[in-house]
Amino acid sequence: MTDVIVVGAGPAGSAAALLAARDGLDVVLLERGPFPGSKNAYGGVVYGRVLDEVLPNWWDEVPVQRWVTRRSTMVLTEGRALTVDFRSTDWGKAPYNGCTTFRADFDSWLAGKAVEAGAQLVTSTVATGLVVEGDRVVGVRTDRSDGDLRAPLVIAADGVKSFLAKEAVLLPRTQAKHLTLGVKEVLSLPREVIDERFGVRGNEGVDVEILGCTRGIPGGGFVYTNRDSISVGVVVSVEHLAAAKVRAEDLVADLKAHPAVAPWVEGADLKEYTAHLIPEGGYDHLPPLSTPGMLVTGDAAGLCLAAGIWLEGVNFAIGSGLEAGRHARRIIETRDEKPYRAALEETFVLQDHKRLRGAPGVVLSERVQQQYPGLIADLVQGLFTVTNPTAKPGVVKLLRAAAKNNGVKLRHLMTDGLRGGKVFR
Amino acid sequence: MAEPRLVAVLARCSDLRVEVDALTGAVSRDARTVAFSSSDAAAIEHGLQLASAWGARTLVLTAGGPECDGPLRDVAALGAEVRRVATHGSYVEELAADERALARAMVSAMGERPDLVLCADRSADRGTGALPAFVAHELGVVQAPGLVSLERDGNELIAERRLDFGRRERMRVPLPAVCSVEAAGTRLRRASLPASLAAARFEVPVAEVAVPGPAVRVLGSRAARPRPRHLPAPTGSSRERLLALTGALLSHEPPTVIGPVDASGAADALLEFLARNGYLSEARTGYAAS
Repeated sequence: MTDVIVVGAGPAGSAAALLAARDGLDVVLLERGPFPGSKNAYGGVVYGRVLDEVLPNWWDEVPVQRWVTRRSTMVLTEGRALTVDFRSTDWGKAPYNGCTTFRADFDSWLAGKAVEAGAQLVTSTVATGLVVEGDRVVGVRTDRSDGDLRAPLVIAADGVKSFLAKEAVLLPRTQAKHLTLGVKEVLSLPREVIDERFGVRGNEGVDVEILGCTRGIPGGGFVYTNRDSISVGVVVSVEHLAAAKVRAEDLVADLKAHPAVAPWVEGADLKEYTAHLIPEGGYDHLPPLSTPGMLVTGDAAGLCLAAGIWLEGVNFAIGSGLEAGRHARRIIETRDEKPYRAALEETFVLQDHKRLRGAPGVVLSERVQQQYPGLIADLVQGLFTVTNPTAKPGVVKLLRAAAKNNGVKLRHLMTDGLRGGKVFR
Repeated sequence: MAEPRLVAVLARCSDLRVEVDALTGAVSRDARTVAFSSSDAAAIEHGLQLASAWGARTLVLTAGGPECDGPLRDVAALGAEVRRVATHGSYVEELAADERALARAMVSAMGERPDLVLCADRSADRGTGALPAFVAHELGVVQAPGLVSLERDGNELIAERRLDFGRRERMRVPLPAVCSVEAAGTRLRRASLPASLAAARFEVPVAEVAVPGPAVRVLGSRAARPRPRHLPAPTGSSRERLLALTGALLSHEPPTVIGPVDASGAADALLEFLARNGYLSEARTGYAAS
């Protein structure tokens, strides 16, 4: 008798299956690909500290590409770049902070932990729908013959386009407004070339988040280092991308051609091109996280934190999955799904989303996306341009000029400053 | 002949997405992408169909390590018996393995004499296509290679083989036989969900048959790089070498200056030059080399 069906062996699903199986429940973990992670386009920085409690010393075995010891935020305009760069040797040793990884490796590893705990992994099987009795979900339909599987609890971890959450009317059929599109190129370079270009050694890696590289389409760019490749890409609003009639790969080409990025990617061979939808609606647009008989986790629940300097998804997926798995037995016994939401409210998963609920509105606003990069670049260029024999201009004068030049009124700056301060306080 | 009782399928399980480093020649294999090739899968599907029609058992054998257990479990979920012949060599050693010895080991692992043996026409990674012939030799039965379709005709088979120019050859194959098949549009069926769940924890039987090591031993493998040629270091200064290359200051025949002359004078001068350098005979031109 199956107790829990987990749909999707990504980070959320495997984390849920891991704790539910450890709790002695009979768990079936369904995966549509031939192995966990095989269909995944994402590859990025994974912050694994969420695993401390359930997989001690996870860092000794996680399939890491590089440990991120250098974190940069870059503002680009045409021909100009301002970078705030931070590095810490603390992030290069246990318990580490974040690592770059390929999700095909990471997901397989985490699903392996769930299997070790007793979960039964069934691959190459698509959950095509729900089995519902009355108002209660009692199982899933799959694309295999005789493919209905019943259980008192279904955990939907089937990703951003969750068919199950849509069928349960937890997610709208289309939700482009709250989705971004991430496109990424993996570019092959020798390891020593990456070390030299990015100023790192050994397992050290770099994560660069970029603003102002998307032709004014709300979003941003990224560059991060893998062992012998680098990933370059952009994440942009689906709605605005469609309205701008721009192809996402052209934005990546722009980014690669920028003078600040071109030297990093010079001579690299394209190894992989992928695209992936990301739920970035934030706390105010989270769907209901459960329905009788079913919990929704990870991207399916829109639990991806996109708050400017923080772009995190996998840790929130794992966090929500762990809470689903942890409370599975209680939910089965009481037929009450409320403890799941309550548990999420008590953890970073919903606390961070709630605290930063205004962040998407600030970060993706027109001024931040289209005007402030130019303003910042003008201001910094003015500060560092030596205009002798003319005396140096004052900062306020430069700021006024930069604001005027970019169509920003000073009251806008103050308003946005206050708004940003309120969001990120 | 009595009704067939056992259809054996020898399926090769291999990594279908092997990556080879272009610089170092290093081969990286991934156990997660180990699977049956489309031809192997077609052989299994033919085996299941024929065994079902005859009321016979299907036994699927593969030689390899534990990474083959996953695909074998999937086949077990389809109702076939499965068995793995354990091999302990490295990938490179496997590539150089003696296929006759492997065929002998596989036949031995079958446990009983099969009525029909099915194989892929060639494996995805080796590609010699020699194994079916060795198996047929071991069993002392007929062999039909390169088949695109197999139909039951009583206790015999009607097989079709691809020929040049789009033609097909239709054959009657008596049993017992070894048949190797192309994928040719035949796809392996998917197991039902209950069967997949039941097979997920199935322990794949392992036959510890002694597979002799390769007759040809691999001493090492690396990317092909031609040895550098040893050239003597150049002698003399760079100026001297430059002069030697260009012949700038060496004595040479000075250029012939003709003219200004009229057309007949120019023709005479040309003929004289050719005769002087041996391109024209004196008799033919009337000009003697000066």
